[in-house]
Amino acid sequence: MFFIFINGKPYQVREDITLLRAAQDLGIPIPSLCDHPDLTPYGGCRLCDVEVKGLRLPAAACMLPVTDGMEVFTDTEALVEARKGILELLLVNYYDRSNGKNAPPNALMKLCRTYGVEVSHWMREEPRYEIDSDPNPFIRVDLNKCILCTRCVRACGEIQGRFVWGLAERGFDNRIIAGSGVPLLEARCESCGVCVEYCPTGALAHKPSFEAEAPDKKVTTTCAYCGVGCNFDLNVKDNRVVKVTSNPNAVVNGVHLCVKGRYGYQYIHHPDRLRNPQVRAYLLDGSPKPPAGESPWVTVSWDTALDITARKLVDIKRESGPDAIGLLSSAKCTNEENYLMNKLARQVIGTHNVDHCARLCHSSTVSGLAMSFGSGAMTNTMDDIVEHSEAIMIIGSNTTEQHPVIGSKIRQAVLRRKVKLIVADPRRIDIAEFAQIYLRQKPGTDVALINGLMHIILKNNWQDQAFIDERCENFEAFRAVVEEYPPDRVAQITGVSEKDIYRTAELMAQSKPMAVFWAMGITQHTTGVLNVLTLANLQMLLGNMGIPGGGVNPLRGQNNVQGACDMGGLPNVFPGYQPVTNEAVLEKFTLAWQTTQADGSTAPLFNHKAGLTSTEMIPSLATGQVRALVILGENPLVTDPDVNHTRKCMEAGDFIVVQEIFPSDTSQYADVLLPGVTFAEKDGTFTNTERRVQLVRQAVLPEGEARPDWEILADLARRILDVERRTPTGAQAGWDYTCAAEIMDEIAAVTPSYGGVSHARLDAGKQLHWPVKDKNHAGTPILHIGTFTRGAGKFHPTEHLEPKELPDAEYPFLMTTGRVLYHWHAGEMSRRSRRLLEVYPAAYIEINPEDAEILGIHNEQQVRLTSRRGETRGKALVTERVSKGLVFGNFHFADDQNSNNLTIAALDPIAKIPEYKVCAVKLESVPS
Amino acid sequence: MTIPAQPYPLTGRSFKSLEKEYPLNDPLQKAIIDQILQSHCDTPGGLMVILNEIQSRIGFVSQPIQEYVARVLNTPVSAIHGVITFYSFFTTEPRGERILKFCMGTACYVGGTPQLVDKATQLLGVSPGQTTPDGKITVEVCRCVGACSQAPVVVVDEQMYGRIRPSKMPALIRDVLKSCEDASGG
Repeated sequence: MFFIFINGKPYQVREDITLLRAAQDLGIPIPSLCDHPDLTPYGGCRLCDVEVKGLRLPAAACMLPVTDGMEVFTDTEALVEARKGILELLLVNYYDRSNGKNAPPNALMKLCRTYGVEVSHWMREEPRYEIDSDPNPFIRVDLNKCILCTRCVRACGEIQGRFVWGLAERGFDNRIIAGSGVPLLEARCESCGVCVEYCPTGALAHKPSFEAEAPDKKVTTTCAYCGVGCNFDLNVKDNRVVKVTSNPNAVVNGVHLCVKGRYGYQYIHHPDRLRNPQVRAYLLDGSPKPPAGESPWVTVSWDTALDITARKLVDIKRESGPDAIGLLSSAKCTNEENYLMNKLARQVIGTHNVDHCARLCHSSTVSGLAMSFGSGAMTNTMDDIVEHSEAIMIIGSNTTEQHPVIGSKIRQAVLRRKVKLIVADPRRIDIAEFAQIYLRQKPGTDVALINGLMHIILKNNWQDQAFIDERCENFEAFRAVVEEYPPDRVAQITGVSEKDIYRTAELMAQSKPMAVFWAMGITQHTTGVLNVLTLANLQMLLGNMGIPGGGVNPLRGQNNVQGACDMGGLPNVFPGYQPVTNEAVLEKFTLAWQTTQADGSTAPLFNHKAGLTSTEMIPSLATGQVRALVILGENPLVTDPDVNHTRKCMEAGDFIVVQEIFPSDTSQYADVLLPGVTFAEKDGTFTNTERRVQLVRQAVLPEGEARPDWEILADLARRILDVERRTPTGAQAGWDYTCAAEIMDEIAAVTPSYGGVSHARLDAGKQLHWPVKDKNHAGTPILHIGTFTRGAGKFHPTEHLEPKELPDAEYPFLMTTGRVLYHWHAGEMSRRSRRLLEVYPAAYIEINPEDAEILGIHNEQQVRLTSRRGETRGKALVTERVSKGLVFGNFHFADDQNSNNLTIAALDPIAKIPEYKVCAVKLESVPS
Repeated sequence: MTIPAQPYPLTGRSFKSLEKEYPLNDPLQKAIIDQILQSHCDTPGGLMVILNEIQSRIGFVSQPIQEYVARVLNTPVSAIHGVITFYSFFTTEPRGERILKFCMGTACYVGGTPQLVDKATQLLGVSPGQTTPDGKITVEVCRCVGACSQAPVVVVDEQMYGRIRPSKMPALIRDVLKSCEDASGG
């Protein structure tokens, strides 16, 4: 600690900070425009000049390290005069006569007021630059208000890691530019808006909300796009969300957000929103069901819709047994709602046929990690990894587009701490620019690649033998298999050079701890579980488990896919991964959820056998094994592999209930359509990819007659129980909830890993990572410290297996699928946010320039992809991101633009996850 | 909104599309640029050296060159553009075979450089910063060249001419044009 004197008073301050920061910590005001605590000091505006005893001239406090005994004056008459002069000079080049009338005064205007500087006197008469000069639909640029503080330049580089903004020219012509002086989007801007967030003058502003009026209230909540779980404030005016603003107190993301989170909120009040319950006319007049989708929709009351639903489900249950009904829960909905879905399936209907989209994204992770370690979730937190890892490996995750805020945190770690980054991906994704080593393996060769790396590690004795001996089992069997993967063989399988394989293994051995990240590139294969087991082997081999900065870190896709799994939205487990095959668990839930029938006997409850997965349920519609589906907020008609087949299955269904916020491709096949609400209209919790449980707070009232999904589910459950004349008698058997917090209390009572979670604790700002054992437990940010959940970590020998379908003469291209920054999954939300659609208006198909040249395809040209299962159309995007022979399509657009017309429904034998990442296709240009 | 050059804005332009633009579409010029990049890409602070070399051997650092260098060096193009526009030594457009620079230092200015510039503009039909349509001569004004005793001064490439009067301009320009022909003819 140093002693310093500020304005004659003594203070004790930290040694490693600047004077400005010390003064800020002490609450002593020193004005500044170019400085921000999140950014490197710049010393540009000189407003923070202070007088320091012993220095001849004033010094900029933002650049001045504190020294012991320093004597500083922050507010002398000379300084005040100098600051006034600086403000006047800034205003000479400033022009803002068209200022958005609703905008609060910016930092420059506030300082002018403080120092008594007459703005209109000094301001320019005419603008120097075009006002609103950039076509970016999210970021409004008005250089007339720019004071060249370079906060945007630093924010873009240091926070987002994108380096779009720069400074051009000299002297009077000096100005900020994007790229080489081009529009933002051409300069590779990711439209995250972080530059706007740090701009002190409004030169950069949020375009969608530029004219928005001051909000009535701000409600802090959790983003409903991806699994990062950013927090922000919804700004509400007249019961409408008018703007999203950053909340500097957000633990996960600070003021940083991505384009979808910050700007993709227009869907909340979209005219397409479902506002009333609807049923097909045939259900009202009692006539037999016409072919799917043909009977007209009739708007009805909630009572009618729910009574029909309850009666039909009970009828089917009586006729064909409870297992003739399947339920698809939703990773977009809250933990509370997923718990109710699981309870509705198991307690009320009496089937384990409940699943959700995790089947399609991380079911192989959940299975694989459960086999290796005993629990299948991200082991470490992002902050821990950013601060403590020495190396990061990203394999099969396009992190900067799919988890943008985590992507930029990884970029920050590379920039700030020089963390070594290894990226392995068949596509040269953006984050590869930050990689020490980029490996371009062929799709579907991940097991071989990782085994090859481990082969070299073992050959050189670089493994952490002490860790293996102490904490793992089955090592020798594993070693024997890895023996079979020498570099020459691996190079041949993967297409990665022997030299690169060696370099990577060496880097892994030298840079510990290393954290491994993965996503769909690993999981969506017929070898999904094998891929995950192999990565688990790697981290055990290197001793990177159960320590800060290490771990296995599957990035979960949907905002609450972690929670939906945790809440028992899976056919084989109750909430908290309690197996349905375990007698003690069955007994516990039999008691908790017990109901009594009219004759006084207790209703039989559970099957001892796991239910059907979603990838089994839908095909079972075609065979009649499953007759009814209850679908909560999912859109299998866009997201399932081989959707042409999915469509036929849905047509065969007897009774399909869809609870949604928009009419979707799937709802065309529904018999009852129940309007749910968005995250802005309900309370609850989401669990992010780090296992962090976070509050979702209601900001606006539901649109029309729509109701929070948990209310609908509870109402439906009560009606089914009534029809069956059953009375809830178990301690957690009832359905009379008055708020979401009550449901969470019930979850805590039956789910050991959520035992200490409550809305009250979360509301008080507690950061809880499950397992949270009880009300006093602080949660578990890092898993597997000291011992693995299953005891010993188990090495699984894994062998390389070819993907199910590889290119041949007829279908010569290999297609891989995924997502893009500006859209979200089936696109129901992002395609209804106009500005997102402006930037990315249609399905693009990425094609390598060499292939494009051979086929005579150019950018923006219409192309057609055909596989054995169907065809899709899109616009060509010629790019070196994909290698020769590889094309990439996304599934954000429905119908004839959907890449899932082509994908193959080949499943991983254990996790039943489809192989979205590899199929063979034919590429043709479409004559216009 | 305008359609960006690349449909999906994140990807940036492909090498292939940059290689279709002048001067990267000229194999000789591209080879020179590649050689410069290769010999200095590992030099710390090598960007300045690379840009200098490209300026002197190619004659300009146009936007496609800036993007290409950025891609190869994995450096933000905004940083490269910042350097190019900061130093007046760099130009972003091809310049003429000969550069005619008029010193605007105080002594030369008082000594009559503005009149010389007017005369040259009249004779060549281009104003400072521009190049004659035949690509022979670029007219520029510059800061003090440190030869105040000779004011006003005109610099042709590296060669300095002192005490020039407007009446001497036609002869000077004739000589410059002739030297261009000599260079191309011989």
